[in-house]
Amino acid sequence: MGALTNTQRQLLVCLAVRVVPESASMAGAPRAQMLSLIEEALAARPPAMQRQFGLFLTVLRWAPLLRYLRPLDRLGPRRQDAVLRWVQDCPLQAVRSGFWGVRTLIFIGYYGRPDAGSSIAYTPSRNGNAVLHARSRR
Amino acid sequence: MLDRDADIVIIGSGAGGGTAANALAPLCAHGARVVLLEAGPKLRAEEFTGREVEMAKRLYVDEGGFLTEDRTMTMAFGRAYGGSTVVYTGTSLTITEPTLERWAVPGLTHADILERSRKYLEQNHVHLLAASDINDNNRLFEEGCRRLGYRVEQFPLNLDGCRGAGLCNLGCPNGAKMGTHRVQLPEAERQGVVVVTNCRVDRIEERAVVATVTERGFGEPSAWAPGEYRIRAKAIVVAGGAIGSPALLLRSALAARLPALGRYFTCHPALILVAQHDRPITNSHGHPKSYYCDHFAESDGFLLESCMYFPFTTAKSLTGFGAEHSRMMSAMDRLQMILVLAIDPPDAGNRVMVDREGHPVVRYAFTDGVKHSLVQAMRASARVFFAAGAARVHAPASSRFFIDAADADRIDELIPFDGLQLGKVTISSAHPMGGCRMGASPDDSVTDAWGQVHGLPWLFVADASLFPRCAEINPYVTIMALADRVAERVRREWPQLRAHAS
Repeated sequence: MGALTNTQRQLLVCLAVRVVPESASMAGAPRAQMLSLIEEALAARPPAMQRQFGLFLTVLRWAPLLRYLRPLDRLGPRRQDAVLRWVQDCPLQAVRSGFWGVRTLIFIGYYGRPDAGSSIAYTPSRNGNAVLHARSRR
Repeated sequence: MLDRDADIVIIGSGAGGGTAANALAPLCAHGARVVLLEAGPKLRAEEFTGREVEMAKRLYVDEGGFLTEDRTMTMAFGRAYGGSTVVYTGTSLTITEPTLERWAVPGLTHADILERSRKYLEQNHVHLLAASDINDNNRLFEEGCRRLGYRVEQFPLNLDGCRGAGLCNLGCPNGAKMGTHRVQLPEAERQGVVVVTNCRVDRIEERAVVATVTERGFGEPSAWAPGEYRIRAKAIVVAGGAIGSPALLLRSALAARLPALGRYFTCHPALILVAQHDRPITNSHGHPKSYYCDHFAESDGFLLESCMYFPFTTAKSLTGFGAEHSRMMSAMDRLQMILVLAIDPPDAGNRVMVDREGHPVVRYAFTDGVKHSLVQAMRASARVFFAAGAARVHAPASSRFFIDAADADRIDELIPFDGLQLGKVTISSAHPMGGCRMGASPDDSVTDAWGQVHGLPWLFVADASLFPRCAEINPYVTIMALADRVAERVRREWPQLRAHAS
C-alpha cells in the first residue's frame, strides 16, 4: 500500500469511470477494494516502474491543458474520452504503453475483485463438469 | 552465510527441474545427496482458491504480467513447487520431426526425443477428454475450423480426476492436473530428494550455489530456515526456465565465456481473440482448452487454440475501453475465445539480460514476419468465430471494436496490418524458450546436445532455455524429454563428477 498519492487515487477513480463506466456507481467498500487492488499490483512492481507510472499519470492529467486549458479530470466525459483515445493511438509507442498500463491497472482493480464475476455472468465451479452435463441435458 | 553440502543441486522444479529431480532420484539410494531449490512456494490444497488476482500473486512471477523491456508484451511463467506445470492447461503435444530438423542440433534426434516424450505422456496420464466433457466454447472452435476446412485436432491432456473447474491457469483447485507437482516431485522426494521451496538462487560459483530462503506468509514452510546459504555440489543442474536460467548464469559472471548466453530468445507471442454469441454458451465450466488448429503453421507461422480466460485477463486482452468494452464484458457466458500464437524465429538480438540489481530483463523486437503472422491469425480466428455462429468479433488490431457477422466478408479490410500497434494491443506469452541454446560451438550456443554448459563439466541446463528455436507447439513435453536426457548425462558421468570433486 502507499504506492499512490491522494491526487493519483482521485485521478484513477476519474479514469476508471471512462475505462469501465460501471465503476461510476461504485462507492465505499467496492471502490476502496478497487483502489487497493491497483495499489497492491503497482507496489509489486520495481520502484523505477512505479515512479514512471506516477510520472505518466501526471503527464496524462496535464496534457489536455495545451488544448482545452483544463486538466483531464476537469474536462467533460466526451473530451476525456477524446484525450484517452488520442493517447491510446499516440504515434509514440512509449505513450501507448503508458496508457496500456493505466488501463490494465484499472481492469485489475475492477474485474479482479472476487465479487466482480457474478455481475458479468462469470460463475466458475469446482465441479464445472456437473454444471456442463446438467446444461447439456436441458 | 550458512554452509550446506550436497552432491547434486537442481535449481527449479517445473517441467525441467521436476523431471531432472525424478530422473536423478535413484542416485539417492546409492548415497547421493540431491537437493532441489525452488524459488516459489508449495501451496496447501486449500490455498488453490481459483480467485484470479490472488492466485496470480501466489503462483506467477510478477502476477503473470512480467513486462518486456519496451513494455510491448507481458510474459506469464510460474513460480511454485512444480513451476509452470502448476499453471498450464496440461496440453501434451510431442515436438514434430520437421521442427526438430530445424533445430539442427548435432547429436539430437527426433527418435530419441519421441521415445522420452512417450515415457512422460504415460507417466502423466495423458489422454483425450470424452466428448461429453467438452463445452460449447471448445466445440464451436472445432466446428468453425471444420466448416472452413482448417485442420483441427483435439489436445491430449495430462489430467487425472478432472472435474472441469476450468481454472487450470490459476492452479487446479481439484489437484487433477498431472504436473511435476503431482507426479515427478512427490516421487523424487519419496526416494530422498530434498526440495527447498521459497529459495531464490542468487548466483552460481565454482561447484557451489549461493541462495536465499525467505518466508512468504502462505504455502507450506520451506525445508530450510530463512537465511542465506552456500551449497557446495559436485554437479549443478539449472532449470529455472527460459528467463530465470539465462539470468542466473548472467548473474554468475558466465557471459564472458559464453557469448550466446541469453540470446536467441523466442516465446510464441500470443493474442486472445474474443467473440460474442447472441445466446449463452458453456465456456467457464469444463476444461478450457480442448482443440488446436495447426493448419497455418507452415504457411503463415501461427497456431490457433481454443481457450477460456478469467474476467481481468479477458478485459485486459480486449483493445479499447468504455461502453463497448463493458458491453463485451457484461455477459461472459456469451463469449467464445481463441488464443493465437505466432511461431517466432530465433534472433540473436532477442535476449534475456540482467539489470544492475540482477533482475531479468527481456529484450524482444517483433519482426515484420511475426506481426504479419499475428494479423493473419486474427483474420483466421474471426473467420472461425463467424463460421461457428458468433454474432460479433473483437479483433485487437481492428479499426472497429466490434466486427458484426454482417461484415464477415470484409474481415481482411477490417483487420488491417497496420492495426497491430505495439503498446496498444495486449500481446502476451506463456512459452518462453531459448537463452541457453544447445549446439556444437560456444560461439553460438551455451550447452552441448546433452545440456552440459560448454567448458564447465559440472554445470548443466535442463529446461526450455535449451531450445535453439521455438517448439512450434506447447513446449512442456519437449522440456521433460530434454531434462530426461540431461539427467541421463549426469547419471552417466556421475562417477567422474564425484571423483573430480573429491
